[in-house]
Amino acid sequence: MSVMTQIDESVWGTRTESVSALERELARLRRSSGAHATEHGVPVARASVLNLVVFATREIHARRAAATIDELATRHPSRAIVIVADREPSGPPELEMHCRLPHPDGAQQVSYEQILIRARGAEDHRLVSAVIPLLLPDLPVFLWWTETPPLDLPFFDDLLRLADRLIVDSGDFARPDRTLPRLHAVARSGENRYGVTDFNWTRITPWRELVMQFFDVPTWRPFLDAITGIRVGFAVDADGREIHPSQALLFIGWLASRLGWTAVESLAPSEAGGLLFAMRRPDGQEIPVRVRPRFIRGLDEGDLSGLRIQSEDGGRHAEFVVKRSDTNPHATTLVTVGGRGMSERIVPLGRPGVSELLGEELTIARSDSIYEDALAVLVALTKG
Amino acid sequence: MTVAPLLANPLRAGPRLARTPQPCALVIFGATGDLAARKIVPALYNLALQRLLPAAFAVVGAARADLTSEQFRENLHTDLVQFSRTKPINEDVWRSFAESVHYVSTRDGEGYETLRHTLADLDVRAGTNGNRLFYFATPPSAYGPITDLIKRHRLTENVNARVVVEKPFGHDLLSATELSQKLQGVFTEDEIFRIDHYLGKETVQNILVLRFANGIFEPIWNRQYVDHVQITVAESLGIEERGAYYEQAGALRDIVQNHLLQLVALVGMEPPVSFDAKSVRDEKLKVLRAVRPITMEQTDTNVVRGQYGPGFIEGAPVRGYCEEDDVAADSKTETFLAIRAFIDNWRWEGTPFYLRTGKRLPKRTTEIAIQFRAAPHAVFSSEAAEGMEPNALVLRIQPDEGISLKFGAKVPVQGIRIRSVNMDFVYGASFMVDAPDAYETLIIDALRGDATLFTRQDEVEQQWRFVDPIAQAWAEGRGQMPAYPAGTWGPAEADLLIAEDGRTWRKP
Repeated sequence: MSVMTQIDESVWGTRTESVSALERELARLRRSSGAHATEHGVPVARASVLNLVVFATREIHARRAAATIDELATRHPSRAIVIVADREPSGPPELEMHCRLPHPDGAQQVSYEQILIRARGAEDHRLVSAVIPLLLPDLPVFLWWTETPPLDLPFFDDLLRLADRLIVDSGDFARPDRTLPRLHAVARSGENRYGVTDFNWTRITPWRELVMQFFDVPTWRPFLDAITGIRVGFAVDADGREIHPSQALLFIGWLASRLGWTAVESLAPSEAGGLLFAMRRPDGQEIPVRVRPRFIRGLDEGDLSGLRIQSEDGGRHAEFVVKRSDTNPHATTLVTVGGRGMSERIVPLGRPGVSELLGEELTIARSDSIYEDALAVLVALTKG
Repeated sequence: MTVAPLLANPLRAGPRLARTPQPCALVIFGATGDLAARKIVPALYNLALQRLLPAAFAVVGAARADLTSEQFRENLHTDLVQFSRTKPINEDVWRSFAESVHYVSTRDGEGYETLRHTLADLDVRAGTNGNRLFYFATPPSAYGPITDLIKRHRLTENVNARVVVEKPFGHDLLSATELSQKLQGVFTEDEIFRIDHYLGKETVQNILVLRFANGIFEPIWNRQYVDHVQITVAESLGIEERGAYYEQAGALRDIVQNHLLQLVALVGMEPPVSFDAKSVRDEKLKVLRAVRPITMEQTDTNVVRGQYGPGFIEGAPVRGYCEEDDVAADSKTETFLAIRAFIDNWRWEGTPFYLRTGKRLPKRTTEIAIQFRAAPHAVFSSEAAEGMEPNALVLRIQPDEGISLKFGAKVPVQGIRIRSVNMDFVYGASFMVDAPDAYETLIIDALRGDATLFTRQDEVEQQWRFVDPIAQAWAEGRGQMPAYPAGTWGPAEADLLIAEDGRTWRKP
C-alpha cells in the first residue's frame, strides 16, 4: 500500500478531529493573538465580510490558492475554507481538518481564518456536510473552483447551492468551447440565488473599456452600428499546442450581445487553431469574425494580444485597433477614418495576477448579466 | 460649431464600465500654479493610469506666463515626478497623455481668442465635441476677471460647458453672493462645481452610507438617544507658507465655513430621497438652515477662539503663530475655534453639537463622535458600574479611517464588574488598500457632470450666514484671544465652554 502524503501542519495548521474541535482551536488561536494584542493595549475586535470556499483536487493547487487569499486578507477579511479532494484510492476514505490564523500578530482588526478540509478517496458527497457548519453565519459565500467545474456531478451542485457567487477561470478549462456554453445554463439557473463569474471575464475588462471608449466619441459612434469585420488575436505557446481562445470568445460574445448580432453558423476551426465564422448584424449584414492564435513571448496562453474592428459608414471606412505591447505593460489604441490616423494613445494594460483578479471579483456581490449575455452568444455559436 | 447629438453607447452597460466620463476638454486656468502642479495634473495622470480618461480628451493649460505647449508639458512632468501618488512615473503613458496637453498664454484678450480657436479645433480634431470643463485653479481674486473674459470671448457659446471652482467661495456672504452672480452670468448653477475636497474623501461619503444604507442607526440618530455630538478637525501642522492667506482667513473661514459645517450637514441631515445631486444637496441645505445662528452678542458665550504660541509638536520645538512668516507680530487671527451649536429642528432640538478645529494641535485627526445618553436606570450597583461610560459611535475621517462603537461589557470574573470596550472597524484595513484620491474622485465626477459631492451656492451662502456674525463680533473687538501652546488641545477656555454643560471634550 502506498504511503499517503501527510498534510504539512506547518503550512495548514494543527489537525483537528471534528468541527467543534476546530472551532475550539480557532478560539484558542484568537485568544493567544488577542492576549498578545492586549499587551500592546489594543483591544481585539474583528471585521469579516465573507466566506470563501476554495475547491482543488491537488494540494499544490490548494497551497497556491491559499497564498493568493493570504494576500487579500486585509482587503477582504474572510473565513477561507480550502477543500482538497484527493482522489488517490489509497488508505481508508476520510475527511481531515486543519486550521490556522495566517496573521496572528498583524492586522488584528480584521478576521482572517483559514481552514483546510482534505477528503481522501471518493468521498466528494460528504464534503458539503463538513463545509456547512464551518461557514460564518449570515455572510455571503464565494465558491472559487480552481479547475474545470464538474457541472454534472451532484456534489458540485451541493456546494453551489451554498454559494452566492461561483468563481471559475475558463483559462483553465480543458475544452472551453464545450464548458462555457454549459456554464451559461448554470448561470441562468442561478437566477437570484447565485451569480457566476470567470477570471477570463475580469481579464478582458480593460479591453472592453478601451473599445467602449472609442464609441463614446460622438463622431465615431455611428461606426459602432456599421461594423463590417472583426479580428481578435490571442496568445499561444511556441509550438501552438496550448490553444485557449476563451478570452477572445468572451470578447466577441460581449460585443455581439451588446450590438444584437446573431450567430449565422457554428464555430469552425481555420488555419493553425484559429476560428473563422460569420455573424449577422440586426440589419442583416454579415460580419466575418476571425480569431487568430499568435505566439508572443511573455504572454500567458489565452491572453488577448490585439483586436481590430473594421467599419463602413456613409462611404467612409474606419478601423479601431487595440494592440498589446510585446514588451511593456501597455497597449496602443489607434483609430483611422478614411485612411487618416485620427487618434493614437498608449494606455496601461497590465497582466493582473490571480490575487488581483480574485480581489476584484470579491468586490462584486451580485450576478453580472452582461457576462451571462456574452455566454448566451457562445451557446448560439456552438449549437449544432 | 454645433454639438453632434449624443447617441447612447450600448457598450457602456453593466457594472464594470460605468465610470469613464464622456469626451471632454479640460481647461485649467492658473495652469502654472501650485494647485495644478500638486493636485490636478497628478490626479489626471493617475486617472490615465486607471484607463478612466475618455478616448477623446484634451487638457488646455491657461495662464499668464509665456510658454510653449512643449515647455508646459516639461514643467508638468517635473511636478508630476514630485507629486504623483504612484511612482515611478510610467513614461509611456505620460508621453501619450502629454500629447493631449496644450498651453495657451491668456495674458490678454488675444490669448482668449487663441484659446477659443484652440478649443474649437480640439472639438473637431480630438473629438471633444463641445464638452468643456473649465477649472479655476487661480487665486479667487481672478475668478471674476476670468469669468468676464470667458463671456467676452464666447468660450461657452453653443457648447456644453461646466466650471470647477476651489474654495474660498468669497470671504463673507456678500462677496460669496457677488462671486456667484458673476459665475452665473456665464454658467447656470447646475454647471458650477464648487470643490470642497473633504466631500471627495472616501470616509466622508461613508457617513451617508453608514446612516442611510443601514436600518439600525437611523432610529437612534436623534435627540432622544443622542446626548451630544462632537466634531473635531485637528491639524498638527501650522500654517506653513500660507501666512498671507491665513492672516485673512483664520480658522473660521478656512475650516468652519466649509469643511466643518459640511460635516455638520452630513451628520445632521434628514434621509435624502435618493443619492443624486439635487436630493442630497436639498437635504444638506435644509439642515444648514436649521443651525441656530450665533448672534454677535452670543459669540462670547458660544464660541472660544485661540491662537497658538510656541510649543512642541512630536517632540520638536515650533514657533508661535505670530512668529510665522507673513504674519503680523500682533496678529488677531484665530488658529483655534470651539463652538457650541444647536440644530433647531424636530430631530435635534436641544442636542448640542460641539465643534472644534485648530492648527498645531497634538495630532492630525478628524472625527465625528455621536455620544449617546447613558442607560436610563442604574440596574447594577454603582461599584460594578464604575468603569461604565455612555455608548459612543465614532466616525474617524482621517487618519485611520474607520468606525468604532463603545459599549459596556462584563469583565469575566465572579460577580459583576463592567468595563467599556471599543468595537473597532478599521475601514482602511478592511476594504481599501488604496482608497481613491479625493481629487481623482471629484475630477471624474465633474467630468461626468455629477454634482452630488460638490457644494451648491445656497449651501455656501447658508454657511456664510452662520459664520458672518461671529466674524463681525470679533472685528468689533469682542471676545478674548487666549493663547495656547502649540501641541496642546487648545486654550483652557475651550474646556470651560463644554464643562459648563457638564461634559468634556474627547481625546481623539
